[in-house]
Amino acid sequence: MKTIIKFIFCIFFIVPVVFAENNINDKNQDAYDLYKELRCLVCQNQSLLESNAPLALDLRKVVLDKLEEGYTKEDVKTFLVERYGEFILLKPKYSVQNILLWFGPIFFLLIGVFVTFIFLRKQSMNKEEGISLSKEEADNLKKILDNNVP
Amino acid sequence: MKKLYPYSPLIVFFILILFFARQLILKEDPSELPSVLLEERFPEIILKKLDGYKLFSVTNLMNANSPSLVNIWSSWCVPCKIEHEFLMRMSSDHNILIYGINYKDKKEDALKVLDLNDNPFYAIGVDLDGLQSINLGVYGVPETFIIDSDGNIRYRHVGPILEYDMQNIILPILGKIMREKI
Repeated sequence: MKTIIKFIFCIFFIVPVVFAENNINDKNQDAYDLYKELRCLVCQNQSLLESNAPLALDLRKVVLDKLEEGYTKEDVKTFLVERYGEFILLKPKYSVQNILLWFGPIFFLLIGVFVTFIFLRKQSMNKEEGISLSKEEADNLKKILDNNVP
Repeated sequence: MKKLYPYSPLIVFFILILFFARQLILKEDPSELPSVLLEERFPEIILKKLDGYKLFSVTNLMNANSPSLVNIWSSWCVPCKIEHEFLMRMSSDHNILIYGINYKDKKEDALKVLDLNDNPFYAIGVDLDGLQSINLGVYGVPETFIIDSDGNIRYRHVGPILEYDMQNIILPILGKIMREKI
């Protein structure tokens, strides 16, 4: 009896998982990928997939409809960019306008490396200069050392 | 050059301050999107009729005598209610043609709002499922588009039009468009 009750109890936990699986499988894979790449314009740092805003649901419907009409993934993106601008893409395009966005960080890193390099080199050069003594100092030093020789 | 060296963090700091101050001083809301359709034809969208009101169709905007406003509104939208007064003033005091797009609304509720308050709209089109408005790039109600007499979009206002917006943004742009035509 106890086993049966346990078994029934476990079923309650299985049911939601089964539904979740079905939900994902029902969706067209392309649509699913697009949902992840497109921004919800209401909750602006969420993708269409994560957002529950009414507009996100509408946009999801548009994406599905367009895919069914035979649009490719790129076509759907272009369609939405024409209406909402590039902001709707969570990952900006590789374009001339976005050069600073994509390569800015690397550029600044290189500047940093360059500055550090020069700084370190200068420091080591200073050190060498510090080691060399003037003639007077060298004589003095020699005198002291000579006097101390046992 | 060598003397500036120790100050470099300070210099970088001030450059950053300038960079951030720009956003603070300009008070631009980065979450507000500029319309991609600026200076372009108002897109072909097909709207349904609201009983008892003239149907707004895109052809209304083409070859018009004057610039007009297209306002996207809904009965469930609270900012739209606040904006209503200013739309009324613009249509009655300034004789501006305002077209309404009723966005994802129930017919009865929309009619009730127009009965209860006055109707600022010359004609109204209904977008029941909100899919037509997506062609306009609408992402929240209310939104208002300024259309010139050739049917091109000249400005998009996101959020309600209040006194300040009306006096300092909407009316001046309309005035500018009218002067262009002369």
